[in-house]
Amino acid sequence: MRSSGWESLTGRQPALFALILLVLSVAINLIVQPNMFARETLNSNMRVFLPIILMAVGQAIVILGGGIDISVGGIASIVNAVLATRVGLDGSPGDMWTYVLVSLLIGLLAGGINGFFISYLRLQPIITTYATSFLYGGFALYVLPNPGGGIPGDIAGLYRSSTPFGLPLAFYVIAIVLLLWWYLRSTRYGNFLYAVGGRAQAAYETAVPVNWVQFSTYVVSGLMAALSGVAITMLSGSGNADIGSPMTLNSITAVVIGGNALSGGMGGVAGPVMGAITLGIIQNIISFADINTWWETFVRATIIVVALAAPGLVNLFRRRLL
Amino acid sequence: MAESLSARNIVKRYGGVVALSDGNLDVHAREVVALIGANGSGKSTMSKVINGVVVLDGGQLLLDGKPVHFPSPQAAKNAGISTVFQELSLIPQMTVAENIWLTREPLNGFGVVDRKAVKTRTEELLALFEGTYKTTLHPDSPIVSLPPDERQIIEILKAISFDPWLIILDEATASLDNRQVQRLFDLVAKWKEQGKAIVFVSHRMEEIFRIADTYTVLRNGRTVGAGSIKDINEQQLIKLMIEKESVLGFLRGEAKSGEKIEKEVSLEVQNLTSSALRDVSFRVHKGELLGIGGLQGQGQYHLLHSLFGDIPYVGTVKLFHKEVRFKHPREAMRGGFALVPGDRAREGLLYIRSILDNMLLPSWRRYGMPLKVSTARKDAAQTGLSLNLKMAGLDAPVSSLSGGNAQKVVIGKWLMRNPQVLLLDDPTKGVDVGSKAEFYSLLTGLSEQGKTILFYSSDDEELIGLCDRVLVMYDGMIRTELSGTTLTKTNLIAASLGATQPHGEVA
Repeated sequence: MRSSGWESLTGRQPALFALILLVLSVAINLIVQPNMFARETLNSNMRVFLPIILMAVGQAIVILGGGIDISVGGIASIVNAVLATRVGLDGSPGDMWTYVLVSLLIGLLAGGINGFFISYLRLQPIITTYATSFLYGGFALYVLPNPGGGIPGDIAGLYRSSTPFGLPLAFYVIAIVLLLWWYLRSTRYGNFLYAVGGRAQAAYETAVPVNWVQFSTYVVSGLMAALSGVAITMLSGSGNADIGSPMTLNSITAVVIGGNALSGGMGGVAGPVMGAITLGIIQNIISFADINTWWETFVRATIIVVALAAPGLVNLFRRRLL
Repeated sequence: MAESLSARNIVKRYGGVVALSDGNLDVHAREVVALIGANGSGKSTMSKVINGVVVLDGGQLLLDGKPVHFPSPQAAKNAGISTVFQELSLIPQMTVAENIWLTREPLNGFGVVDRKAVKTRTEELLALFEGTYKTTLHPDSPIVSLPPDERQIIEILKAISFDPWLIILDEATASLDNRQVQRLFDLVAKWKEQGKAIVFVSHRMEEIFRIADTYTVLRNGRTVGAGSIKDINEQQLIKLMIEKESVLGFLRGEAKSGEKIEKEVSLEVQNLTSSALRDVSFRVHKGELLGIGGLQGQGQYHLLHSLFGDIPYVGTVKLFHKEVRFKHPREAMRGGFALVPGDRAREGLLYIRSILDNMLLPSWRRYGMPLKVSTARKDAAQTGLSLNLKMAGLDAPVSSLSGGNAQKVVIGKWLMRNPQVLLLDDPTKGVDVGSKAEFYSLLTGLSEQGKTILFYSSDDEELIGLCDRVLVMYDGMIRTELSGTTLTKTNLIAASLGATQPHGEVA
């Protein structure tokens, strides 16, 4: 069986589709918002996109390993609730750094719980993380029952308006994340990840530590969700225990737009990063074009449904031709 | 390098099924051992015990005379044991090089995989089969883009890439062409000189006599014979594989009724070809119970499922001289076909639903709108009674039944539709002896009523005992038709293995 040109192209360059979509959406955004590349506008856009980008990176790694993580929004909510209540509007920078560290530990722990259930108790990823999403979301509400609290304005300002060497802070964060990923990809662990997501039984027979690899993807995803929670807290400056829940679907959509197969073993992280930026830009376009905001949800949902259905539709079409 | 590996009195159970009850195997360096046995004799389980894929329930593995324990594939690998898996262990999305070196990637500083070294070493390995490739095979080609024979070669190269001392080749030649097989055998000869040992699991007699030094025969989970290949011939090997104590007599009495020769042709299949079938043609008569034999996975599943409209095919199928072409099982069902699938739990039944639901699944349409449930119940109860179905009640879940009774539900649900053609895919697998006997009389009864029955069985005795004619399938083709005096167990097994003399009585 030979694969078609398109298939081999998208197979080898899964991020290509994401890049095309990104360029398209940037072009449209430029029409409605001509000053989009001005330093201030660029920064205000990127700081809004960054939380989803971070979350999408973690989600991409879980999906590459053949799983999915629905609890990422819940983890981000916990982090927001903890920072808003423990640091407070007039906390010191020292408190802030301490509780950022605590947040990251919370992310690792929450991811570890997911990973333990899924890889060692062999529960279904989608059900498990859906259940733990309520666990984590509920815990966030317990910490912060009503919206309020927050972090000191000057610390939030650091996130909002830092532009070292004239570039938005988010660019540096993205660069670091991508470099780390490319390093990881080139190690043995990178190969293990693709092998487990590609065909777990074959990987096991080749002596790949399948359980451990699956476990690790959820820990990474928990950590990235916690980082995402820190970012969104610094962006908003305030506390709201429900802040993470709309982020989960966005992170999955970003991975799908990024060209990764939801069945695992195919894709990368650069694509999902571009996917997350594309999602943000679509949101931008909708708000600038003065369209009702429910369109945004509609467009996002359409994208995910089309992306999911496309391979099946292609297959159906081929079978008809036979 | 190790000198020998011995398996002693190996026991392995899967759930309640005993796959190995007393498995013994001796492997020595510089030797090729042929591991031989019929369907379900425990060959695959034996290799999985040796390479750590399954953990044994009893017995012992001895490496150079010292007891060893392989709890995982990794442990066996560390002991220098490598396997070419029948179901390839390749990751389709990854490249040739990534697959071969998975878990053993050469590393630079900082744990980074040395891609250059991976590539050169892969090219060295690929050179071993140089000249037999059909595509421009490259270290960076993804596995999905390769044809089956080249995937098999990559699996072989992967197995030898860490220089093991023991190599298990599990049906490694099945998808290779002649040139590739020859190349593999040249390599095997070289490996022997280097002091390696090879376990050669195969169904192909000709290949066994070409490269093996010793043989070990498994039958029903036990080792029943071993020795030097020089001291044995094909017939003697086949005899060893055959069960001695036989329930054949019990079958013979009631089964064969003989005079069915001049009946009307009901089903005619011409040049049926699909992904797993090659040019299959045969005729079945009204009231005939036609047997289909051969080793598992030689195309029997595809043949039955193609006839049932489940798998697309090229070729002609005629039912009473009229061409039929079913594109969906529903059409086949309405055309009077019924299929009793091989995997009862997955394909044949809704396991957690009630017996009633299962029995009526294909027939609800006939009970009108609104459903006449009480009539339906009565009919189902009737069918249950006629099949001697032992159940707590029609509303009990199918999962509460024994294997034999569950299979009766599968047959019962089709009998309620009164089919003309019955396709049976190994219906007595996992069925107790008592129920088997009931099945046999049921099948003979149905054929006497004029039904056309295609009966695939992995149990050769059943075929011989029940059928007048048996088609033996091999590699997607009908290898031989056995009937009358040629329908003997020896011939059946010989033909299944693609042996050289499928005809004539061999005592």
